[in-house]
Amino acid sequence: MKEVILSVKNLKTYFFTKRGVVRAVDGISFDLVKGECLCLVGESGCGKTVTALSILGLIDSPPGRVVGGEIFYDSTDLTKSSAEKLRHIRGKEIAMIFQDAQSALNPVFTIGDQIVEQIKLHLAVSQRGAKERAIGLLKEVGIPSPEEVAGYYPHQLSGGMRQRAMIAMGLSCDPQLLIADEPTTAVDVTIKAQIIDLFQKLKESRRMSLLFITHELGIVSEIGDRIVVMYAGRVAETAPAAELLKNPKHPYTSGLIRCLPDITQEGERLESIPGTVPSLVNPPRGCLFHPRCNRAMAICRKEEPPPVSISRGHTVFCHLY
Amino acid sequence: MMLNHKLLEVEDLKKYYPVTGGLFYRHLGDIKAVDGVSFYIKEGETLGLVGESGCGKSTLGRTILRLEEPTAGKIIYRRTDIAKLDRKQLRGLRKEIQIIFQDPQSSLDPRMTIGQSIGEALLIHGLKDERKRGQRVNDMLERVGLEAQYALRYPHEFSSGQRQRIGIARALATSPRLIIADEPVSALDVSIQAQILNLMLDLRREFSLAYLFIAHDLSVIRQISQRVAVMYLGKIVELAEAGEIFKDALHPYTEALVSAIPSIRKKKGRTRILLPGTVPSPLNPPSGCRFHTRCHRVMPICPQVEPHLKDMGNGHLVACHLYGV
Amino acid sequence: MTKKRIKRLAGRVGGIKNLILIPLAALWLLTLLLDIFVVEKIFTPLGYLYIAIGILALIYVVWPLYSGRRLVDYYWQRVKKNRLAVGGLAFILFLILLALIGPFFTTDPTAANFEEKNTPPVGFSIEESVYHAETGQFITKATSGTWEHPLGTDNKGRDLLAMLISGAGVSLQVGLLATGIAVALGTLIGVISAYLGGKVDNILMRFTDVMMTFPFFLLLVFIIFIFGPSLAFIVLVIGLTGWTGTARLIRSETLSLRTREFILAAKALGASDGRIVLAHLIPNVVSLIVVIATLSIPGVILAEAALSFIGLGDPSVTSWGMILRAGQQSLDITWWVAVVPGVMLFLTVLAFNFVGDGLRDAFDPRSSV
Repeated sequence: MKEVILSVKNLKTYFFTKRGVVRAVDGISFDLVKGECLCLVGESGCGKTVTALSILGLIDSPPGRVVGGEIFYDSTDLTKSSAEKLRHIRGKEIAMIFQDAQSALNPVFTIGDQIVEQIKLHLAVSQRGAKERAIGLLKEVGIPSPEEVAGYYPHQLSGGMRQRAMIAMGLSCDPQLLIADEPTTAVDVTIKAQIIDLFQKLKESRRMSLLFITHELGIVSEIGDRIVVMYAGRVAETAPAAELLKNPKHPYTSGLIRCLPDITQEGERLESIPGTVPSLVNPPRGCLFHPRCNRAMAICRKEEPPPVSISRGHTVFCHLY
Repeated sequence: MMLNHKLLEVEDLKKYYPVTGGLFYRHLGDIKAVDGVSFYIKEGETLGLVGESGCGKSTLGRTILRLEEPTAGKIIYRRTDIAKLDRKQLRGLRKEIQIIFQDPQSSLDPRMTIGQSIGEALLIHGLKDERKRGQRVNDMLERVGLEAQYALRYPHEFSSGQRQRIGIARALATSPRLIIADEPVSALDVSIQAQILNLMLDLRREFSLAYLFIAHDLSVIRQISQRVAVMYLGKIVELAEAGEIFKDALHPYTEALVSAIPSIRKKKGRTRILLPGTVPSPLNPPSGCRFHTRCHRVMPICPQVEPHLKDMGNGHLVACHLYGV
Repeated sequence: MTKKRIKRLAGRVGGIKNLILIPLAALWLLTLLLDIFVVEKIFTPLGYLYIAIGILALIYVVWPLYSGRRLVDYYWQRVKKNRLAVGGLAFILFLILLALIGPFFTTDPTAANFEEKNTPPVGFSIEESVYHAETGQFITKATSGTWEHPLGTDNKGRDLLAMLISGAGVSLQVGLLATGIAVALGTLIGVISAYLGGKVDNILMRFTDVMMTFPFFLLLVFIIFIFGPSLAFIVLVIGLTGWTGTARLIRSETLSLRTREFILAAKALGASDGRIVLAHLIPNVVSLIVVIATLSIPGVILAEAALSFIGLGDPSVTSWGMILRAGQQSLDITWWVAVVPGVMLFLTVLAFNFVGDGLRDAFDPRSSV
């Protein structure tokens, strides 16, 4: 029985705006096993970033709020924890890396200073100890001449280096769980490859659990152990990576896979999913994907699909099954 | 139908941005964004231009349109060197070569209805009759899959996929022969990306359009291009048929690019070539072959002599010392 | 002239709007020159300013608003949600109504009536010692307000309500006209400077710097000394010296717009520079212009009030500053003479500021209204 380090149960995060209630996350559940990489996959607006922020209690409180569900980290329910406890956990136990390194790093402090600050916040080390640790981290993430780079400001680094520096910051207090929000989206292809490689190495060397958020299915196949496909704030399908890509059950998942341009075949038209994501303010009844689904049935319009277990670890939310 | 005619031929095109500094605005050097690029595009053909950020592909696209003034070189469009045309002559050209931008949000004037945006080209080029213009605008809207009544709406009322369609409609309005597509799908979600790519393919067939398709995503390039050019630091390092490039890449950079693509159809755990370091600055490119600082197959001659594009037979060009100078 | 010839002519001058503007502008100039040199008072100086701003506003403000109804409606929906802005707008409309219709319902504000001097507003009463000629003694006489003078009278017996209404008209006129001139000038300079760039930009901006330091007050005193005080001069001087802030703001906005992709797209379509500036740049700065104008008006109104307060205002019109000036001397007894215009000034400035803020929020695409 593998140890579950993070358990999200029926999480609901809504945003209360003047236009109405935006149901950004509307009842998602998943478990993250210790040492594995779970990928949250979905297109823009599906709620993956909001999920990550909800876990860490970083949702902007007006207008957003976690309205339901539980998030268990190591048997503590994070939704019911005090602000103090959350602050203690953030950075030390659960660390988060954001998409755009440029805006996540403070431009007026050097890289070294920022990492040291992070370290001293959670660990009882001296200034020198923290500095040494920071340099060690920079080396670990593959930054050449780490002593020199520690004295650089963010704008002096290239995109890839900045990304690595941000990862170093995330790792600084030896977190148990690292949440990475689209870390490869804003970078070039070759840097992407480097970053994926880095994540794989880190996962092995530190035996860290990873919650990896992305919209790129290709990346997920390389680094993910299990995948959760999200659509419009709900889960469409959950499965181990290989299983999902070989045997997708939900029409959205299979549509998404077929959409991808592929370099191994010279294609003409791609399959595409018609229509667009529904508004999350007043979501339609039933299955949220039904207006775009080419296999929609009458029941899909009326009832939300219940989870169906296809095989071990493979669950799909669809009336077809 | 003379479909094998060269529509556009670029010869040794250069675009430098001078860098000044110091108290007296001395000329310190040049950012060599495009440094001697040559290629051609035939009628109805799609040439994919791929490279990472900073390689100069966007600058190249804009320079061809003379949105940036070329520093040197020739741009021959149907036997006229358009690099030398003056403003008035250039205007006529605008009908024939058009551009689609990456960001559908900022490429449309937020204060103009989309009907006005699409019709603007027609207005500029002489179609002053409002009714006829309106008809053509509606025509274009329907061709790209939008309803004609949308012409009265403003850009903010549309999704980004729809806005990109509007951008395409605008580019098509004057019936161009060549469209420069500058990362047209990079800012879109995967499912919308597929829709737009399909649209571009359909339009290509319907109007015999030629595309210069600029992107950084190799799989997208593969889908839509017949030939592919790979750019690095302002120069083309390899140019070949699309299938060739992906199956049989010759230049080490191309190899690395192809192996770096995260793809769900590739086997897990296959060897991937990781390029060390980062792209050097275009202000001070490395000597000899620009790629030598990161090349996994570098040889002693590489930092000394710059390789030129050589035809390896059947139109596959590569600039690398591994294949003779 | 056939429709076709009109259209062609319009194309040559850069649009139908210009086709209408040019003859009107020529006519205006002609009338003005005739007035100055042939000495026949056709319009008052203020009248000329009105006509000029009116023509520009009609062509470049009212007409675009009408043809862009859908967009205007979109923004109006956003403004409506801001209660303070709506309140401010209501107050301004009330003020405009007051200034236009009020004079028909009240007495002449300059009519001095010593019998009724120093009466307080309705509901208040004061006591003062008055020398009673018949008895040769000082008796305390209590006067209370009557509905004949709802807001009381000043020390010369002039009805305060009438003066207030007249003052409203003055403040609005000066506010709108002077701001109109300043904003029009500032926009022109800002856009040209930003679009042409290079040397032109440099020269224009240095000129702007110089104008920023220009002592408009001294200039005004000088002009008044030579020509005598006049509302038209006040409006002109404020307008001709107050454009610098606008120029800077518009210039920076234009600079950032210039590199936006839709401008590049227009160039790629073959649009001429003129077309890009008129059809693309200016409509996109309009929202900024509106906000700047709305937020400048209070400053202008206060400037005029201050000038009148110190006695440099136009004595032939009753402005709020003038009333304040009269009232400040006996603030302890006849407090209403100063308080009433003061409150009006305060409310007016507040109203314009609320509206300006509301407009700015409505136009900002990033603020969720």
